[in-house]
Amino acid sequence: MTSSPYTPEVKGQGPKATVQRLGGYLAAMVMPNIGAFIAWGLITALFIPTGWLPNKTLAELVGPIISILLPVLIGYTGGRLVHGQRGAVVGAVATMGLVVGADVPMILGAMIIGPLTAYLLKLFDGLVENKIRPGFEMLVDNFSAGIIGAAMAIGGVYGIGPVVEWLTKQAGAGVDWLVGKDLLPLTSVLVEPAKVLFLNNAINHGVFGPLGIAEAADKGKSILFMIESNPGPGLGLLLAFMVFGPRALRPSAPAAIIVQFFGGIHEIYFPYVLMKPKLILAMIAGGAAGVGTFVITGAGLVATPSPGSIFAYLAVTPKGGHFGVVLGVVIAAAVTFAVASALLGFGRGEPAADAVGPDEERAVGPAEERVVDPDETLDKSAKQEV
Amino acid sequence: MPTINGTEIKKVVVACDAGMGSSVMLASQLRRQLAKSAVTVEHTPVNSIPADADVVICHQGLASRARVSAPDKVIVPIQVFLGDPAVTRVVHAVQRGGELSG
Repeated sequence: MTSSPYTPEVKGQGPKATVQRLGGYLAAMVMPNIGAFIAWGLITALFIPTGWLPNKTLAELVGPIISILLPVLIGYTGGRLVHGQRGAVVGAVATMGLVVGADVPMILGAMIIGPLTAYLLKLFDGLVENKIRPGFEMLVDNFSAGIIGAAMAIGGVYGIGPVVEWLTKQAGAGVDWLVGKDLLPLTSVLVEPAKVLFLNNAINHGVFGPLGIAEAADKGKSILFMIESNPGPGLGLLLAFMVFGPRALRPSAPAAIIVQFFGGIHEIYFPYVLMKPKLILAMIAGGAAGVGTFVITGAGLVATPSPGSIFAYLAVTPKGGHFGVVLGVVIAAAVTFAVASALLGFGRGEPAADAVGPDEERAVGPAEERVVDPDETLDKSAKQEV
Repeated sequence: MPTINGTEIKKVVVACDAGMGSSVMLASQLRRQLAKSAVTVEHTPVNSIPADADVVICHQGLASRARVSAPDKVIVPIQVFLGDPAVTRVVHAVQRGGELSG
């Protein structure tokens, strides 16, 4: 493995990769369907009685999309990950067994039963492979999928459904307890470090998203969508790097801010934290301050803001909720900036200003032009590292 | 450790966790830089790197997962998403030839 001179090598072995991979599966079931979540969020924000354009007819879309379409899409995608198109079909059928009669959105259940049903079909397909009399393949294929899908749907109604519904309610009660005891900001202690280890999608779409959707369907909004996805801490960190960071890295910060804060691609700031790991304290402080502000102001979003861009945030903020949402983002950015600046020593120890400074025009040009010649910066940054 | 000569590179794959965010951004930059070369640039999730990829670019933090899903490919880990020297190395290898390994 190569590592460029101004960043220490990041170790990516063993348990972390396994956790990433598991989390990646959860996120991979949800993320291709984010467009549907956004559609639901927009329809909800616009047409429910307390929305921007209340409309009784169009508001009828809200219920079926959240309780049927979204879980079925996730069960479908989960099945497809395991066993292609055939897996997708049985995953969707089996998910119907969960959504019928359930009074919470069965996102979590769909993430279980979709892949599970596809896996059973995959086992069956492996069992009969090369054993089918020629000409009977289509018959066997169609009926094996039909029978397994139907059986799992029935099993979903009587078995998995009630269990998952109970689990979802317990998780919801756990979140309520955290909120009631004002402990929700503490989640940042776990979330922010996990995030920069590339578990961001797993946490947001695998854990907070499904719980948040259940809460949003019930109460019209959820704070859980905002714990991982707040673009404030990343903005604060990149601003601190722009002003007080190692001189060689300062020019890249403005372009990174545009990509992160407006484009919503948070990954862009992870390397800045990984190369100065103590800055994780700034991320935790900012994240917790943001969540605390959301709790105090009673802020919430109607759907997952994905990607975590400020534009996505404002788009899925319910009517009348913009104050708390914006305040939480601003406070998170300010706190992260303050702590990160302090941890960077306010730029003391950096050599006096030279030709390299924040320069937005250069920063948005083709990447090749922005490349800092590693040989040139090696000596300097090696001395700067404490 | 697999190696490839820059002139033999036909497809560069940029991988990230979901294949929807940072990889798309990096792939579109790379596509622009390699516009004049006969090289396809694709973005995918790191768990499903296509079999016809010649070179895989992904963040260091995901490199071990890339190695699992593409054991016999040249994997180029990057540290930063904007202007990483490793990406420039790939561009230069494609444009001027030269060995890439990883």
